[in-house]
Amino acid sequence: MGRGDSELDGWSLSSELRLVITSLRDIVESDLLRRALIEAMIVGALGGIIGVHLVVRRLSFTAMALTHATFPGVVLAAILGINLLAGSAAFGVLVVVAIWLAGRRPEVDNSTATGVVLAGGFALGVLLLSAQAGFSRDLTAYLVGSVLTVTTRDVIVAAVSAVVIVIVLAVLHQALVFSAFDRVGAESAGLRVVWIDLAMLALLELTLVVSLPTVGTILSVALLVAPASTARLWVDRIGASMVLAAVIGALCGLVGLVVSNMADTAAGATIAVVAGATFAVSLVIAPMVQRQRSASVRLA
Amino acid sequence: MYHLFVEPFAVGFMQRALTVSLIIGAVGGVIGVYVVLRKRAFFADTLTHTVFPGVAIAFVAGGSLWLGALLAGIASAVLFTLSTTNRRVDDDAAMAILLTTFFAIGVMVVSRITTYTNDLVVLLFGRVLTVDRGEIITAAVLGTAALLIVAVLHKELVFQAFDPEGLRAAGYPPVLLDLAANIAVTLVVVAAIQAVGTVLVIALLVTPAAVARLLTRSVGPMIAAGATVGVACGYLGLVISYSASIDHELRFAAGATIVVLLTVVFVVVTLATGGARRLRARRVVTVQ
Repeated sequence: MGRGDSELDGWSLSSELRLVITSLRDIVESDLLRRALIEAMIVGALGGIIGVHLVVRRLSFTAMALTHATFPGVVLAAILGINLLAGSAAFGVLVVVAIWLAGRRPEVDNSTATGVVLAGGFALGVLLLSAQAGFSRDLTAYLVGSVLTVTTRDVIVAAVSAVVIVIVLAVLHQALVFSAFDRVGAESAGLRVVWIDLAMLALLELTLVVSLPTVGTILSVALLVAPASTARLWVDRIGASMVLAAVIGALCGLVGLVVSNMADTAAGATIAVVAGATFAVSLVIAPMVQRQRSASVRLA
Repeated sequence: MYHLFVEPFAVGFMQRALTVSLIIGAVGGVIGVYVVLRKRAFFADTLTHTVFPGVAIAFVAGGSLWLGALLAGIASAVLFTLSTTNRRVDDDAAMAILLTTFFAIGVMVVSRITTYTNDLVVLLFGRVLTVDRGEIITAAVLGTAALLIVAVLHKELVFQAFDPEGLRAAGYPPVLLDLAANIAVTLVVVAAIQAVGTVLVIALLVTPAAVARLLTRSVGPMIAAGATVGVACGYLGLVISYSASIDHELRFAAGATIVVLLTVVFVVVTLATGGARRLRARRVVTVQ
């Protein structure tokens, strides 16, 4: 390959392409990588779908707080020897209640309440951790994820949860959209807005728990927000942007895994960077395309 | 009393930890008031993560970690300020994407080298007990720069926090003001992050100010209260962490102890002021 580079200019591109194809073949042929790919694409698609609701309801910071403030739950689960994800899910309920309680006073706005709970919860986890001598290996994987070690069971859990979440979202679709855009209207139309909020938070928590093995706490937020925001740049309707976001999320999982395999970088992080880059490119291109489209409509 | 409150600081590393905690506690408490009034807690959280790739790249390239963090922080402050001018992108989503993408770039960079889990742990948890003199001086310089920015722009920043439309109508440039405030927060984050880790920074930027907001309605006293709470919890947190480790064999991480203490203060003040308010309301009713 080294000689080819110097001989022909076009050769370097096609060698890159060959590298991608080799990498794809690696993935399809290896059990481990195939499982990782399926998991990454499921989590990406799921994140995209529920992410649209998340972005419309401005819950990004809440998602961030849920991933951080549930840390004591993970540490406690590790100490007690029970499932780490169960610990984090259980603590998630406490976090939601804590944010709600902290933000009840008019002097404390929602963002401040979320920040206080995020920092306090996470620090409690660190405190518990520091009081226990010598375990940190499990927890690093929890923070940054390790998609290459997902088991068939993880994949099945992710797939089943994704189906359940999509069904619930479909059933609640109208109520979710109505209450997100017009809270007062939804309330006076007889919807129980608080219950819809709680249902949304429960679905969010479930999504986070499912995506933790793949991309870890911080980067799971990337898959929730970036594909959904990218889709919103291109289309206006909620339903259409959910479909587009699912496709973008799954593609980010695919591309991210291929790149990480080629460049030998951490998989979860690479997926998140691909998702962020997709958003950045759309941010520049989408307005140009839309301007051109509206110009041609005017001409016609 | 002497044994509990003074003796811990007879050792050099505890003196340095105390100095840096007091500096960051005071600066964080002051800048935090602007963060809380402007409802920008999420931005503080975003910055604590976006400086990471700067640190990581500087580490790999062998450059100054401070400079790397500062450049990455300023880059993310500029990008965020720009993205808020696009109406199709929600502020919240823009911050989340910046946070995760920048952080992921950092993880990608360090994952190519050595034992990256170690560096990640230090970034998250900090190591306030091992700061050296140079780090204290850098923290003091960056903290002072942040205080200077808000001192010069105080009136405009408060105006913008309470009435952004009015500010625009009065002819001030809102984007530039936003940028200045965001850079002040960046300076605090960079000043603090090497010493105390991401979690402590966000706590010091949000919690003391939230407590101050509960205690008073006017901005001046709020700033004084924020700084006081930040300094007091920095000091007491170190005392508790030291005494737990030495006297009771409980190893409490110093940074985390400060944050948990801040959170406890927030809870107590919320309950106390809530109770006081209810009492006052009842008294008004009986008088009438």
